[in-house]
Amino acid sequence: MQLITITDFSGVTSARKSNGFKQELTFATAALLGLSVAAPSVAEEPGPWKIETAGLVYSESDSRVSAFEPVVSAKKEFGEDRVFNAKLVLDSLTGATPTGALSSDNVQTFTRPSGQGSYTIQPDELPIDDTFKDTRVAFSAGWLQPLTSTLKGGVGVNVSAEHDFRSLGLNGNLSKDFNQRNTTLNLGLGFESDTINPEGGVPVAFAEMQPANSTPTRQAEDDDKTVVDTLIGITQVVNKRTLMQFNYSVSQADGYLTDPYKILSVIDDATGLLVSSTGVNRYTNLYENRPDKRTKQSVYWRTKYRFDRDMFDVSYRYLWDDWDIRSHTIDTRYQWRFAPNQYLEPHFRYYQQSEAEFYRPALLNSDVTNNTLPEFASADLRLADFSAITFGAKYAHRMASGSEWHLRLEWYQQSGESSPDGLVGAAKDQDVFPTLSSVIFQAGYAFEW
Amino acid sequence: MVKAGDGDVLSSQKLTITPIQAGYQALFFAMGSPCEIQIRSVLPPERSRQLLVDCYHEASRIEKKYSRYRCDNLVSQMNSATRVQVDEETHRLLDYADHCYRASSGLFDITSGVLRRFWRFDGNSTTLEPDESAIQDVLSCIGWDRVYWEAPWFQLPPQMEIDFGGIAKEYAVDRVALYLKDRDLDQILVNFGGDLAVYTSDSQRYEPWTVGIEQPHAHGQAAQSVSLYNGALATSGSTHRYCRINDRIYGHILNPKTGYPVEDAPLSVTTFSDTCTQAGMLSTFAMLHGRAAEPFLQAQQVPSWVIRP
Repeated sequence: MQLITITDFSGVTSARKSNGFKQELTFATAALLGLSVAAPSVAEEPGPWKIETAGLVYSESDSRVSAFEPVVSAKKEFGEDRVFNAKLVLDSLTGATPTGALSSDNVQTFTRPSGQGSYTIQPDELPIDDTFKDTRVAFSAGWLQPLTSTLKGGVGVNVSAEHDFRSLGLNGNLSKDFNQRNTTLNLGLGFESDTINPEGGVPVAFAEMQPANSTPTRQAEDDDKTVVDTLIGITQVVNKRTLMQFNYSVSQADGYLTDPYKILSVIDDATGLLVSSTGVNRYTNLYENRPDKRTKQSVYWRTKYRFDRDMFDVSYRYLWDDWDIRSHTIDTRYQWRFAPNQYLEPHFRYYQQSEAEFYRPALLNSDVTNNTLPEFASADLRLADFSAITFGAKYAHRMASGSEWHLRLEWYQQSGESSPDGLVGAAKDQDVFPTLSSVIFQAGYAFEW
Repeated sequence: MVKAGDGDVLSSQKLTITPIQAGYQALFFAMGSPCEIQIRSVLPPERSRQLLVDCYHEASRIEKKYSRYRCDNLVSQMNSATRVQVDEETHRLLDYADHCYRASSGLFDITSGVLRRFWRFDGNSTTLEPDESAIQDVLSCIGWDRVYWEAPWFQLPPQMEIDFGGIAKEYAVDRVALYLKDRDLDQILVNFGGDLAVYTSDSQRYEPWTVGIEQPHAHGQAAQSVSLYNGALATSGSTHRYCRINDRIYGHILNPKTGYPVEDAPLSVTTFSDTCTQAGMLSTFAMLHGRAAEPFLQAQQVPSWVIRP
């Protein structure tokens, strides 16, 4: 016979902050039996680190860009609702992105951004810069704590770095509960300072791309911008099952907002053919130029509805800015809890935007020769009219140990106008916006430590 | 030595109180189980006897109020599909059942008792397979989320039933133990059909209670024993409550979503906790976890004894 001597378990079985499930059961049992549970002394005890790790793989169908993104985030409660969280993201991108230049019937030769070397694009292929390879490291940390019984405050810092970009951000937020905690008012303020240090320097606006190994036309080594974000929001408990959130936010960016790697093709006013430049297979390409201010505003509505087990989450965002971009985003998720410890979450997102006022697929040669170029111009597809849909699903499984793993598979497709206004003649036959589709796969594991 | 999970102490309804070393012992039968209470103290004998009588009345009161086998009590009224105004104690029990339903994602459900029509857990062998289509029909009569419960008003949809059997016995153990704890006793043992709570005052720390964890299907043979001063043990499992159909053993923990006993559940799970009610619920939750019972208990850091075939 095995004799197990247990003298006193009070340290083991009393309510422990580290174990939410059992602690809740302890409180429920105490309520049933009319016992008081010594909560205050326990609440001081810090909880475990809640760690979430995930790896994301993003791959475009034509292998244009692929990305691998490992993420690790950690959260720890220090009692009395004081929470620390931190997140580290590593983004590793390889592939090529569209430069803004038009495709053509001829082979085109482009100079690499550094000014050293060149690459060629085959006829009818969208010019993409295949030197695109970057690793981004981003780190953020935040602290949240109650200030009074109904007021909470939080502060955060985020930094990110790439070989040509550095960003430092600070943010703060306040949330105030009203109406027996059924209504929460949120205020947020963020400040970000970015420095861009492009390969080969910052190009002069509308300067022509120079042949390889000649001196590029540069205005500076680097440039910077600042972004100020403000948010006001309200979260409302509608009933036992419904939670609703409304946000209004303004984002004000000042400084260098141009993409130093993006160019525009120059086409003949009559034929629409690319205008030749010095060198074999070389055509005139001018660096783009954008305003140095941008004010974005957005309204956001989100509703979460909890069924007995399942959960439905839908949101809509309308965003408009003084570059004339208007966008709509609808995002829906349904969490189907088909088993106590598993769920499947289908996801659907639709995004649509209108083009920026200075978006144009190419520049006209007459404007270049007569010096009547517009003040701003960009052929960046991200500023064009386009729509995108995402759909996929996430499967999550919580194990008896409390750890949870998940898999997410999503399909993304972006399509835009293949022949937008501003093109003439032969250029009209080129597909400016080839449909892009990509697959996103993520695997994650969350545990307590 | 007291045996957890032991049921064959007595089978008489009436109360007997007998002197034991330095105290008194009460034996009676309630809630389908033999019940035993031991107290040790320097109190006058009459006072000790009176305390035990009070405990017997409390256990009987809870049995009478929450038994599903009676037609003259609150539960029968609640099972009549009419709107019933419930008292404070029932209010707390319903809130507790609601918490456990949510915490188990619907696996612990006090409306699942209707399934017992198909499963008789008396340890007897039978060759009768439960009727699959009848089980499917009865699943539509299960679901705590379909119950109207807005305190103090309670109403069940027609044909549904509630059953406090998964809570009442452990609750009775705690009620009786808490009553005795305030009475200046040196040692207390409350053991209702193997679900038990013990207490030892600080001056009596040299003598712990020894509790045996019984081996299933072999009555009376204690496999392991534990010594403890304070706390509660509760067992969920098929030590006595199982059925055998075509040589397959089915434990008495039913999955309200399938209508069948939980697959790969242990034969029994005994857990230790501060209160018997909590120990019982942790044992039940562990059983509901089936083959993951052990990792669940480990994650909850619950001292436990799991017996598998």
